[in-house]
Amino acid sequence: MSNDERSIETIELNILGQVCPACLLVVLKQINQYRERLRNGTARLLVRTDHRDTTRTVPASAQKMGLGVEVHKVSTYYEIIIGGAS
Amino acid sequence: MSSCPQQQENCIAYVRYIRDKTNQLLEVMGTEPLQEEELDDHALIELDPIGTIAQSFGHILEYLNETINELQVAKDELQAIFDATGVGISIIDNNFRILRCNEKQRTLLLTPETEDVTGCYCFDAYGNRNAPVEHCPAKYTFATGQPAVAREIIKRGKYFQVATTPFARDENNKVTTVIEVSLDITEKKMAEQSEKEQRDFYLTEKSKLATVLESLSEGLLVAGTNDRILSVNRSATMILQRDEVELIGLALTDLFPVISVELTDPMEIIQGLELTCTQARTNECHLSLNMAPLLDNEMKRIGRVITFRNITEEKKQQELYHRTEKLSAIGQLSAGVAHELNTPLGSILGYARLLLKQENLTQQQREQLAVIAEQAKKSGTIIQALLNFSRHAQPTQCRLDACDLNSVIKNALCLLTTELSKRKIILTTDLELIPKVCADPWGIEQVVLNLVMNALQAIGSQGDIRIIVRRQPGGVRLEVQDSGPGIPDEVRSRIFDPFFTTKPFGEGTGLGLSICAGIVNENGGNIDIAKSDSRGTTFVVILPCKESVDA
Repeated sequence: MSNDERSIETIELNILGQVCPACLLVVLKQINQYRERLRNGTARLLVRTDHRDTTRTVPASAQKMGLGVEVHKVSTYYEIIIGGAS
Repeated sequence: MSSCPQQQENCIAYVRYIRDKTNQLLEVMGTEPLQEEELDDHALIELDPIGTIAQSFGHILEYLNETINELQVAKDELQAIFDATGVGISIIDNNFRILRCNEKQRTLLLTPETEDVTGCYCFDAYGNRNAPVEHCPAKYTFATGQPAVAREIIKRGKYFQVATTPFARDENNKVTTVIEVSLDITEKKMAEQSEKEQRDFYLTEKSKLATVLESLSEGLLVAGTNDRILSVNRSATMILQRDEVELIGLALTDLFPVISVELTDPMEIIQGLELTCTQARTNECHLSLNMAPLLDNEMKRIGRVITFRNITEEKKQQELYHRTEKLSAIGQLSAGVAHELNTPLGSILGYARLLLKQENLTQQQREQLAVIAEQAKKSGTIIQALLNFSRHAQPTQCRLDACDLNSVIKNALCLLTTELSKRKIILTTDLELIPKVCADPWGIEQVVLNLVMNALQAIGSQGDIRIIVRRQPGGVRLEVQDSGPGIPDEVRSRIFDPFFTTKPFGEGTGLGLSICAGIVNENGGNIDIAKSDSRGTTFVVILPCKESVDA
């Protein structure tokens, strides 16, 4: 692990079992709370969701706010990592 | 805690309002509306969806403004590049109308007084035409969707290279606008033309120099700094009788060993050095040689230049001239001596013969008078030879005329029939049909007689004599070959000197060949020894033919 990666705080958000658009509202609330840190790269938001539509709505909204987004499929759910400039 | 129905109704209306507005905002964000079973009223109020979405919209707006600002900066930068670039740029639509053009394009292709050309047809504004030309690159790009380059468009005395590339396409992928780039290549073109002119000039000069060097009568060698031959002209190969391939790479010291010392100095200059050189490994020739260092335009030495001419014939002519001078001097002296001796000898012979007629002489007196008469007669013969020699040795204007050499030879041989029959000598002739020579027949007959007599005396009692006549450029060649013992090398150079003889004392006057040389010279010819060794000697006489003398 590099020094850069060590200094980045990971904020985890578990919304397994929830569906959109409630998921989107929950994630947006977290983004609003940590937006500055997410933008300057000192923190990243790790969202775990099993609702497929969320992997479309959340990245689209985050990118419109200038945030970088990655989506990974992990066994039975998805991980959406939000953080850094897009 | 209980509330009144009015308050409950207000609360329900408030929550419905929140839910409706939240769904309205979610629709803007492109997602489904909230379902009550998904988020109940209490959870909805807790989540503060309108505040959350509003705050997110704020962030989106902030990011949008940042992006707009960045785009504006990028647009300004692009505009600056568009205007400041060294090439002319136009954006043209598929109706060939100019959408934009930068300042450089205006400078290159438009006159200063031309107003804004936006909306004008490019073929009209840039080419003063009614329609695109056949090889128009924009036309090609619109038709094929591929970039195109038109080379060397000439306008207002300048050369341009115009290239087009697709800029935008419609939904069917058809090119709707192209970027046309015009590059001023006038300087490059001028430089190319100048370079071509310089190359042509250089090639012409090189060709002229090569022609001059090839037409030189002097031999020319160019050697590198290692004194090995790099190039030769035609005369050099002819004089040295060696192929160019054989000479290239040869060391100068191998070709001219005599200048080995001079070659140790890289800047040595030689003028008119006379040397002997081996032609084609066997023959020798005399050369007059010049040598100078070869310098480049910065006066740095890059080799040597050697020129030379064959002076073999020149030296022969000099020798001949000196011999003629000597003959003339001896001739004058001989004529005087002969004239002075002729009268007293005549008296001695006359009185000896008169005394011999007296009857009272003793036998001894008679024998002694006979010796006197015989020796006086022999002396008279010598004096006659001297007079003949002096006549031919002194330059006189003899009468030259068309003369049939073969007839002259036959006449001379008739006179020798008796002499030949006394010995076992076989004389053969090989007389080619030749043109008439320009000569004095009596003189040439004397030459033939003397050469054959000389051959008879050289052979002795048994051997062969062969007379050959051949035509050669400008004249004829007479050869008299004998099978005698040959002429020793040490006396060969004196063989034509008067009074020089290899015969025992008293057996020859030493004037025969001198007389031959005198007569041949008078007739404008040459006489020399072509070959002489233990198997015999060949004398050669060259006489000019009548045609070449007349010409």
